[in-house]
Amino acid sequence: MKLCEFIRPESLAQARAVLRKLGPKGLPLAGGTALHFMPGKVPVTAVDLTGLGLSYIRHKGAFFEIGAATPLSDIQRHRGPRWAMHEICRRISTHQIRNVSTIGGNICRVFPWADLPVVLLAMNARLVIYSGKLKEMGADEYFSSQPARLFRGGDLLAAVKIPVLKAHHGFGSVKAARNAAAFSMVTIAALLELKDGRIAAARVAAGSAIPFPKRLPSVEAALMGKEPSAEVFRAAASLAGNDAKWCKQEGMSAEYVANLAEVSIVDALERAAEFARGRTE
Amino acid sequence: MGRFLLDCAVNGARVRRWIDPSRTMLEFLREDLGLKGTKEGCGEGECGACLILLDGRAVNSCLMMAVQAHGREIVTIEGIKGRDGGLHPLQRTFMEEGAVQCGFCIPGIIVAAEALLRRRPAATIEDIKLELTGNLCRCTGYEKILSAVELSRGDLKKKGKG
Ligand SMILES: Cc1cc2nc3c(=O)[nH]c(=O)nc-3n(C[C@H](O)[C@H](O)[C@H](O)COP(=O)(O)OP(=O)(O)OC[C@H]3O[C@@H](n4cnc5c(N)ncnc54)[C@H](O)[C@@H]3O)c2cc1C
Ligand code: FES
Ligand code: FES
Repeated sequence: MKLCEFIRPESLAQARAVLRKLGPKGLPLAGGTALHFMPGKVPVTAVDLTGLGLSYIRHKGAFFEIGAATPLSDIQRHRGPRWAMHEICRRISTHQIRNVSTIGGNICRVFPWADLPVVLLAMNARLVIYSGKLKEMGADEYFSSQPARLFRGGDLLAAVKIPVLKAHHGFGSVKAARNAAAFSMVTIAALLELKDGRIAAARVAAGSAIPFPKRLPSVEAALMGKEPSAEVFRAAASLAGNDAKWCKQEGMSAEYVANLAEVSIVDALERAAEFARGRTE
Repeated sequence: MGRFLLDCAVNGARVRRWIDPSRTMLEFLREDLGLKGTKEGCGEGECGACLILLDGRAVNSCLMMAVQAHGREIVTIEGIKGRDGGLHPLQRTFMEEGAVQCGFCIPGIIVAAEALLRRRPAATIEDIKLELTGNLCRCTGYEKILSAVELSRGDLKKKGKG
């Protein structure tokens, strides 16, 4: 996508007003790394979001709040109590791209390879949208279809709120890729809540090998009430085909991808169980 | 097509130019400023030949629009020098180790290594490997590149930069 103008607003309100005026001729721009992937022959006016004070990570009560324009490298380097976001961020592309790509850019227009939507779905994140005032939306609703739908009228993503995980929570994410910097073949994230040694709640999400990131309800249901074990995880993962139609990928049949997804689900669940036992890296 | 008055610093000097907002940073540096040390390999964020420092962080200039540098500070390979204006320790160790063959990837690799060593002067070999994940070299096989960066880290620690 080409740019014909570049505007640097000073506040979220100003950015929204400009975008409303521009309509389809305007484009919010954060890191700008996705311009390359976006079709469109008609040049647009870019409205820069990097000067609006939206680059921060704050611990606020039960949540970590991450400003929408925070680069992935900052999220990767951040450490906080039971912080788990670095795990996936360090697997997204290269260090240099993470220096520029923002959390907002990754989740406002979801590309097939995007990893963060999977993690945010599993974590039950809340998305803070500015539409003249700030309003919150749960990840299930936000990712129910392409989130770009929410921003057509000039509204903007302001922040992402991630629940602070408690001692009885376990989180794990797994990205299967050909090498450290490659796009994902399958990404899985899992959040487990344990009570008296049993799984009291589970959120498991997948992305990349399916048309759009989603949760896997059959897998989640199969985990409920069970004691975490490799056997339980394998049995639950074997049900993933009920929830997702895995697509073939370059050099891989759909059957191979389905196998890869099952193995990745087991890995993510094992990582989540280890996290609940105190794993930090 | 609109015009934008870009005001930024490049290698320590203030630059003010009217530019076409659709120009990438790589085009701006090479074609408008004549700084040809920054290379174009893939043009899509995968090879690292085009790396520059933006406010001290390494970024791919092929993916960045020049307008995004407004009010910011850029350092290209031409701006990476020793304190006396001569060779930077990284440039010296790359020569000493024979880490350069055709040389096309080297500006990007030096920029990536410089960003890492500024941030983490005592970087481990694992840190160096991770940092250079985004740099492709078709000639050297990487071993000599890694040892040149490691050696330069020792150099920086021993002698101070440059
Ligand atoms: C070579 C390469 C490899 C990559 N590999 C991966 C990978 O493996 N996994 C992965 O997850 N990502 C990967 N990415 C990153 C990803 O594809 C996007 O490029 C990146 O996440 C976009 O972030 P950005 O800040 O640059 O967004 P931009 O390019 O600035 O914007 C992206 C979109 O989001 C909109 N937008 C941005 N911020 C807001 C906001 N606050 N409110 C409303 N709309 C907004 C923009 O209008 C635009 O439509 C890769 C990128 C590259 C270049
Ligand atoms: S030219 Fe920019 S990464 Fe290859
Ligand atoms: S020295 Fe030739 S590409 Fe690296």
